[in-house]
Amino acid sequence: MSLELTRNFSIIAHIDHGKTTLSDRLLEFTQTITMRQRQDQLLDAMDLERERGITIKAHPVTMLYPAQDGKTYKLNLLDTPGHVDFSYEVSRSLAACEGALLLVDAAQGVEAQTVANLHLANQQKLHVVPVINKVDLPAADLPKVRRQLEEILAIPGEDGIPASAKMGIGIEDILEAIVSRIPHPEVPQDNVLRALVFDSVFDTYRGVVSYVRLMSGSIKRGVQIRMFSTNKTYEVKEVGVFTPKMTARDVLEPGDVGYLIANMKSSTEVKIGDTVTDAQRPCIEALPGFKEIHPMVFSGIYPVSSEDFEQLKLAMGKLQINDAAFSYQAESSAALGFGFRCGFLGLLHMEIVQERLRREYNMDVISTYPGVVYEITKTNGEEITVDNPCYLPEPQEIQEIREPMVKAFILIPNDYIGEMMQLVMEKRGEVTITETLDDNRVMLTCGLPLNEILVDFNDRLKSLTRGYGSMDYEYDGYQAANLVKMDMLIAGEPVDAFATIVHREKAESRGRHLAAKLKEVIPQQLFVVAIQAAIGGKIIARESISAMRKDVTAKCYGGDISRKRKLLEKQKEGKKKMKAIGKINIPQEAFIKVLKTD
Amino acid sequence: MSTLVRRLYLHVPFCARECPYCGFYKHTPGRLASTDFIDALLAELSLRLETVQMIPESIFMGGGTPSLLSRSHWLRLASGLADRIDLAAVREWTLEANPRTFDAAKAEAFRAAGVNRVSLGVQSWAPRTLATLGRDHTPDQAREAWRMLRGAGFNNLSLDLMFSIPGETAEEWQQSLDETLALTPDHLSCYNLTYEEDTAFLTRHLAGELDVDPDRDADRYLETLNRLETSGFIHYEVSNWARPGKESRHNAAYWRGEDYLGIGPGAVSTINGQRWKTLPDTAAYTRAALSGENVRTEVEDLTAEDLRLEALGTRLRTIEGAPESLVKPSAAEEVALLVAEGFLKRRERRLLLTRRGMPLVDSIVGRLV
Ligand SMILES: Nc1nc2c(ncn2[C@@H]2O[C@H](COP(=O)(O)OP(=O)(O)OP(=O)(O)O)[C@@H](O)[C@H]2O)c(=O)[nH]1
Ligand code: SF4
Ligand SMILES: [Mg+2]
Repeated sequence: MSLELTRNFSIIAHIDHGKTTLSDRLLEFTQTITMRQRQDQLLDAMDLERERGITIKAHPVTMLYPAQDGKTYKLNLLDTPGHVDFSYEVSRSLAACEGALLLVDAAQGVEAQTVANLHLANQQKLHVVPVINKVDLPAADLPKVRRQLEEILAIPGEDGIPASAKMGIGIEDILEAIVSRIPHPEVPQDNVLRALVFDSVFDTYRGVVSYVRLMSGSIKRGVQIRMFSTNKTYEVKEVGVFTPKMTARDVLEPGDVGYLIANMKSSTEVKIGDTVTDAQRPCIEALPGFKEIHPMVFSGIYPVSSEDFEQLKLAMGKLQINDAAFSYQAESSAALGFGFRCGFLGLLHMEIVQERLRREYNMDVISTYPGVVYEITKTNGEEITVDNPCYLPEPQEIQEIREPMVKAFILIPNDYIGEMMQLVMEKRGEVTITETLDDNRVMLTCGLPLNEILVDFNDRLKSLTRGYGSMDYEYDGYQAANLVKMDMLIAGEPVDAFATIVHREKAESRGRHLAAKLKEVIPQQLFVVAIQAAIGGKIIARESISAMRKDVTAKCYGGDISRKRKLLEKQKEGKKKMKAIGKINIPQEAFIKVLKTD
Repeated sequence: MSTLVRRLYLHVPFCARECPYCGFYKHTPGRLASTDFIDALLAELSLRLETVQMIPESIFMGGGTPSLLSRSHWLRLASGLADRIDLAAVREWTLEANPRTFDAAKAEAFRAAGVNRVSLGVQSWAPRTLATLGRDHTPDQAREAWRMLRGAGFNNLSLDLMFSIPGETAEEWQQSLDETLALTPDHLSCYNLTYEEDTAFLTRHLAGELDVDPDRDADRYLETLNRLETSGFIHYEVSNWARPGKESRHNAAYWRGEDYLGIGPGAVSTINGQRWKTLPDTAAYTRAALSGENVRTEVEDLTAEDLRLEALGTRLRTIEGAPESLVKPSAAEEVALLVAEGFLKRRERRLLLTRRGMPLVDSIVGRLV
């Protein structure tokens, strides 16, 4: 099919504005899927995506559309995630496209990720087609959203195509706009193979499947390809497109979006953003790749039972190939045994990795309190980074600690400015710019320590604005802060899993909170148990669990002896999972409970 | 070759009503003992006697409420026993009884058959607490039952009491002890109420309806310990006290790990390293036993480690203590710590609970396994 008849586009929007639902309608309208295959949010293939109703991975699909001009077009659609943690997925998908549909919810209007994602599209010089979705909603306000398009996004309001993905309104208008407004791919005429790897998945049976966009040249089964970054060559086993299932084709041509399978067995062999070229006739220069994404949030992940360590390691390797942003490295904890220090893009990403480990790999895991990467200048001039509080040098060796900052864009109704400012202050942040967006909304630009927005910031933002506020953020370098390492001591010994790096002023309340939590879950012992929070040698919070005086002792006669023994067997088993701290025996389960609920 | 067994247990699963805290296999009226049931007990016994040589030194009839058997059923059972086994060596024959389930004539009949020890389920002397427990006797009826037993010539009487019953005050418990001592019992079992599976009490406990406080339980227990010690009782097991020489031989045999044969629905036997439970369903049991079918369920072969754990778990509770050899070398440090901290003491290569360790025996054993 000629290049002039190909269109590559992404659908971008704020979370939940209806990208995946619109994809469903486009697939139906073009009869890419039959009504029989119909299923809501079809492209959300993972159980987890369906259950949470969110898109995590970008999903490509190829459709054929007979347009009003009488020609049949090949449309390559990439559905993308909306959540800020996954914005790298959006950038990668955009790199494979010439255009983007920007969806705006007709009732919610423009939100933080609408702004952020449009920004990404503009950076890639994509042609943007605005769509105002959910016009069927009673609260839909078309004129208002058109005004917002102009005022906030600088897009002509009348360009917005009214649609309802749910009711199937405006679908043909959207398809026509794709054909008429989005340009076809431009291809260098040298006929040299250049394909951009924009994603990859690991398939148990076929090994690594690379998602590619052909920028020039063509690729088919049997040819030798070379991966630009590793310089390794492979024979192509299969190429194909997504319809939306993987469907083998003879050849992928310039402008196409599809997949290729070569005999790559390991996750390390393919790098997302890499260029695939012909082994015989390679291109000279690599395509512009992607900024390497660095995990920003770290936490320890441990198998609940230590025998599962090796299996967990395997599972992590497999996850990583589907998720280049996820990193892991073996570590060990006195309290939790052997596990991994893992890096994530954000909190949702962390949750999702944990949940996938549980579901897809059947692993029972526990993770430690999430933290960030600190930069430290030691008194001897050495510069180090620390992603695990346990490795923070002694206070006297530290000249300065710096923490990662974010620039957050918070979009809220005017009425909540006061409360929002207070929340930002509580989180050690600062509002630098307040902009009026329209007659009832403002955008606050704030500097905030990343560590402070990790846990409950977004939830608090949502609840304090009754769901009307939204936020996006970008990383904004490091800044020195008065940070200290706080240890939790049980019976006088520090428990590594609970060490945290906190701001000096917040240490006490955090220490009190953790001590109280531990008190709740550590079972009474024959001895008094002291629980303390300490900075350096100084105790800043304490709790104690009084010694048990009686355990209720049941009768023990002929009929009770088996039951008694089974109890002892349980205690004996339990002892293996106990951590002895001095005279105290603490079930690992207790630590896990605190980590789970905190 | 048949094994010689010296301990016989008989289970009679009938009760006048169902107490809301009780986890034993038993049932309520409507299905009282029948002649068939008595015959089933005897049939099961006969079947066992094919492989076991039973020359009892002690017999224990428990339940349920064995004193609920009618006089004629009782006579049928007693003579059936005498027909089948040699009772000449019996030193102790205990019957569990509840107030309001027997009269003087029945007490005489128990005695005449050879019963020489009765354990009376009084549980409490406080009317309010008796009501909480769902018992259907009054304190006066309990005293009356006691008098009848003494009248029938029993000189070895035991009384069951429970403490830490929801709503019971410290005074009520002291009063229960006073009333009990006034009767000069030969033996006492005092249990902290436990919440057993499948009981109404457990349901209420889990729903948080009951006022439970382990520290208060500890106080009750220690008060009991002091009170009974000063009254001349020997505290020979965590929950059992006796006048010198009146310790229960039958129960002591369990704790020593001796073999025992259990007859009747829900009864447990342990013989030659094998343990089983008799089918815990009275109707099915009666049918099967009468037609000579198998009534053994939950058969398990005990390993050396099983036996070690059981011995440790039961013997540490007794006045004789547990031989130190039952503790693995890997737990030597724990032993040293528990001795140093005053929970255990050593005597002649045996580990004994101290007064401080007594109420904490479960946790202590848990650290020694
Ligand atoms: N009323 C109405 N609801 C819609 C419409 N389009 C989507 N929805 C609903 O909005 C919710 C979110 O839809 P999705 O398609 O999952 O949104 P998304 O943008 O893909 O979400 P993320 O992938 O999580 O960013 C679902 O409950 C849809 O049923 C519409 O046109 N009208
Ligand atoms: S406590 Fe005794 S009388 Fe009450 S139900 Fe249980 S066995 Fe029967
Ligand atoms: Mg989606």
